[in-house]
Amino acid sequence: MNNLKTGNTFVFNPEIDANYLNSLYGDDYMYLQEVFEAVLDDYQSLTDHIEYSYSSGNLAALRSAVHKFKPVFGFVGLTAVQQLCQDFEKTCDQAASPGELSGDYETLKNKIFQSKQIIEEEKKNLEVFNSNCS
Amino acid sequence: MSLSCIIVEDLQVAANYLRNCCEKSGQVEVRGHFSNVTDALSFLNSHTVDLIFLDVEMPGANGFELLDQIAFSPKVILTTAKSEYAYNAFQYNVSDYLMKPFTYQRFLEALAKIQPSKETISTNSATDHIYIKTDGKLIRLNNDSILYIESMGDYVKFVTIDGKKYITHNTIKNLEEKVSKQHFLKVHRSYIVNLHKIDDMRENLLFIKGNEIPVSKANKADVFRRLNIV
Repeated sequence: MNNLKTGNTFVFNPEIDANYLNSLYGDDYMYLQEVFEAVLDDYQSLTDHIEYSYSSGNLAALRSAVHKFKPVFGFVGLTAVQQLCQDFEKTCDQAASPGELSGDYETLKNKIFQSKQIIEEEKKNLEVFNSNCS
Repeated sequence: MSLSCIIVEDLQVAANYLRNCCEKSGQVEVRGHFSNVTDALSFLNSHTVDLIFLDVEMPGANGFELLDQIAFSPKVILTTAKSEYAYNAFQYNVSDYLMKPFTYQRFLEALAKIQPSKETISTNSATDHIYIKTDGKLIRLNNDSILYIESMGDYVKFVTIDGKKYITHNTIKNLEEKVSKQHFLKVHRSYIVNLHKIDDMRENLLFIKGNEIPVSKANKADVFRRLNIV
């Protein structure tokens, strides 16, 4: 991870689109910390929903589960993952069976797992940053 | 101005963010947050609000099913990213879409769209006419000349007995409060009709000079009460 504090500015993980987060929250890092916490609270259930939909072979439910998860990544600035979800939704629309999705699904699943680690790490860094600022 | 609203959204982070935007704006009071349609309906059975921030895809019933079942016509801002809902959104007189996550500025723009355009109509419900602002001028319409009023998103269309159509920036909700109660009745979230012009009614349709007007379940009892049924 590459989090640094420079003066009073929080430096985000390079995977996170800092400009995008700034457009949403400005420099309200306390609120941003709450956002990361809220995202982590829901993360497991959203992930479980995707995995269950895939394992049960229900394409419509899988698409819906990914659609539901998609904006979560935007809220924490992981815009590339948000786009990956968008692309996966389109792939679901074109697929005739879950088997056709296996490669894309594995890519998405791994990205979701990695993203959770980034979010957890960033939440910790925000906690430290905010406690130092207060 | 303070609008009352509820948030119907099953994604907690999105609901929190929306609430934060509402509080920051000072224009919207959040009366409740519900993560499914059933809970929202339960609240709306005994409360009215000016505005609903509504997600579409939620566990159980979807957002449009909520709109089908409420007995009044609040403003609606959808919080969804799916353009395939555009047709439904028009039918339900949705004011705007907010694609999650949206910026605070975008939120304010959506709020600006739902301010009623009070300057576009001048009327007194006790008089026999209204004035509407259209094509840069004020036009007088006698109550007796209006067949019905139809919602067109952020606009409404007045259809008159001589076959003319006048379009003005306004909403059915705003007009419902302003037009003569003696003449007019809202029969659907998208229609106000002149009760004196109804030719006949069949099931959930009213017929006025060859025009079919849908009657919603929520408004059907009102229609029956106001018709002079012998």
